[in-house]
Amino acid sequence: MQNLASHEDWKSCFSEVAPGLLLFARQWVQSAADAEDVVQEAFVKFWRRNHKIENRALLYAAVRSIALDFIRRDSRRARREATAVGGTDDFIEPQFEFEDDTQRALAEAIDFLPCEQREVLVMKIWNELTFAEIAGALGISQNTAASRYRYALAALRNTLQPQ
Amino acid sequence: MNDLSQIEKELRKLRPARPSPILFERIEEAMIDCRAVASPARQPERLRYNWLSLGFGLAAAAVLVLFAAVKMERQESGKEIAQTSREPEAAPLLNRARKSTSTDKFVPAGATRLVYNTRDEGLQFAGGSGQPLRRMRYQTHETWQWRNPTTGASLRVSYPSEEVVLIPVSGQ
Repeated sequence: MQNLASHEDWKSCFSEVAPGLLLFARQWVQSAADAEDVVQEAFVKFWRRNHKIENRALLYAAVRSIALDFIRRDSRRARREATAVGGTDDFIEPQFEFEDDTQRALAEAIDFLPCEQREVLVMKIWNELTFAEIAGALGISQNTAASRYRYALAALRNTLQPQ
Repeated sequence: MNDLSQIEKELRKLRPARPSPILFERIEEAMIDCRAVASPARQPERLRYNWLSLGFGLAAAAVLVLFAAVKMERQESGKEIAQTSREPEAAPLLNRARKSTSTDKFVPAGATRLVYNTRDEGLQFAGGSGQPLRRMRYQTHETWQWRNPTTGASLRVSYPSEEVVLIPVSGQ
C-alpha cells in the first residue's frame, strides 16, 4: 500500500483520476475552472494528509466537502456581483467530449438526473468506485448507493427511449 | 436488465472533459509550497467550537437572564409602590407586593429536546484536521419550562434548533 505523499509519480496517479474527479466536482460547481480549483484543493489536501492512494472514498469525500464549501462561498459572491454588476456570463463549458448527437443527448439527460442519483452514477461509471466506496464517501448504505445507481440508469433509459 | 446494461455501455463510451494542463502545474506548485511550509508531523488537534451549539446555549442563557430581569423589575415596582404609598389605603397593596416578592420564585420544571430530523451529510475534513469527520445535522425542537410552586404559574419557552455535529471516523 503506497501513500500518495511517497508516490514518486503522482502525476500518473492524478492523470488517471483527474477527469473523473473534475466531472464529480462539476456536479456542484458550474465552470470548469472552479471545478479545477476544487479538485486541486482536495487532491493537495489528500496528498498532504498522507492518505493511501487506495482510499479513494476519502478523496471523493474531500472533493465533495470542498465543492459544497465552494458553492456556499460562491453563492454569496454571486449575490454581491449580481448586485454590483447586474448580470453574469452564462457560458458553461461541456462536461463531456461528444462524438455524436447520441452522446450529446445522453450527457444532457445526465444533467436532468436528481443530484443524489447523478453523484452515484458519476462515481460508479467514470471513477469506477465500488458501491462500498461510494457508500463510504456519501455516508449512505451500500444498498442505497446501488439502488440510486439503478434508478439513474432506468431514468436515463426512459429519457432516451421514450415509449 | 439488458436495457440497463446497454445504457451502462453507452455511458462508459462517454468521455469526461480533460483537465487543463495548467492544473498539473498548479498542483505541483501547491505541493512544493506545502513541503516548504508544513512539517510532515501531524498537527496537534485544535479545539473545535460547534458554533450552533454555542449559539443556542447563549440563546438559552439570554432567556434566563431576561426572565431574571423581569422578575427583578417586578420586585422593584412592588417596592416603589410600598415607598410612595403612605396613605392607609395603600397597606393592602404593600402587603400584596411583599407577598408577591416572597412567592415570585420560578423553578425549572422541565426541559425537552425533540430530535425530529437527522441527516448524515457525509464525510469531510474540517479545520485543517487530517482525520475524516462524519457531519451529522440534527433538527430539534427544544422546550424549557419553569413553574411557580406557590401560585401555580408557569413559563414555557420553545424554539426550533439545528445542530451540526462532527463525529471523528476511524479505521481504514
